[in-house]
Amino acid sequence: MYANHYDGGASHFHGGGFMPSQATQTPDQAGSSKTRSSTTSTTVPLTIKQITEAYHLNDERADFLIDGVEPSLVKLLGRVLNKAERVTDVSFLLDDGTGSIEVTRWVSDSFDTDEMTKIENGMYVVLIGKLKAFQGKRHIGAHAVRPVQDFNQITLHFMECIHAHLDNSRKATAVPATTSAMNDMRAYQTLNVGTGASGDIREVVLSVFQEPASLARENGLHVNEIIRRLGLQEQKIREAIEYHVEVGNIYSTIDDDHYKSACNG
Amino acid sequence: MDTSSPTVFVNGELLKLYMGRRVRTVVQVIRNEGGAVVGQSTDNQQLTVKGPDQSVPVMHFMEVIGVADGPQSIRAEICTDFGSNFDTASYNGLCKLANGQFKNLFL
Repeated sequence: MYANHYDGGASHFHGGGFMPSQATQTPDQAGSSKTRSSTTSTTVPLTIKQITEAYHLNDERADFLIDGVEPSLVKLLGRVLNKAERVTDVSFLLDDGTGSIEVTRWVSDSFDTDEMTKIENGMYVVLIGKLKAFQGKRHIGAHAVRPVQDFNQITLHFMECIHAHLDNSRKATAVPATTSAMNDMRAYQTLNVGTGASGDIREVVLSVFQEPASLARENGLHVNEIIRRLGLQEQKIREAIEYHVEVGNIYSTIDDDHYKSACNG
Repeated sequence: MDTSSPTVFVNGELLKLYMGRRVRTVVQVIRNEGGAVVGQSTDNQQLTVKGPDQSVPVMHFMEVIGVADGPQSIRAEICTDFGSNFDTASYNGLCKLANGQFKNLFL
């Protein structure tokens, strides 16, 4: 059922909003999709290059499409340049090594002003804000700007950008059941059977054989153990095992019910 | 908005591929030699950093943004003290990813 929703639904999963929690809140997007409400808000970590290449949907609404996602908010990390303080706002150029973009932070109370006083030219900062476009030029309206204190955050931010990009592009293109099956096996296992997508079951069965605990056992695993573990039909599991034996991924050990992975995992 | 001079994430190994281009890397300061700093890259190669900023203490990590002017040498424009607590393994991994499979996100 799950997979059918993905298959039949729009690849541009923003639309409809029937399955927004699955679309925007995936378990394996640990830090990269921090949602505010459970429906449409997404915060996406991005490099400025990704922003400059983002597809601009609509001039009036200033919506952008990046890897198939319309982010409500973006998270950026870079150096501050050309800081300019004015009465109602502070603006600067953010350069993250992949490009630079104008950022404006509106200051309406002392909290905002205090936050921006700490920011100096040349400093690394993290910011969360909204991506906007005006007359073809893109810029950021920042909600929060904070100095980077632990520089491992720089590595982390760019890793998060890569992670979010991978996650979002996978959802936009591939059949989700196949790629998410590995991570969300336990939740979706009973539903995957209904799809009849035998590729999923084979991958899942092989992954059980390739676990270190399985590799450590001299006689491998009994078929019943696999059945009990995965909760799938015996027939389907035996089919998967037969396939893997033919291909050479696993081999039988003491009898026809015990199999072990031929690879080192 | 300007992507005309992006700085490439490099480690010792990747530096030689970007000769003459603006690069960024993190090294651990080993010693100061006259007008240059000798640092150890995240993949354990020795790099020489020439430039005005010599204020990063030995054993601290230093980010160097500058132009690669030799297979193991950078002419620095900006040096930043990254302190003594920096994960070189992760940064090294990032350099490889940012120049490999995910180059399109960075350059």
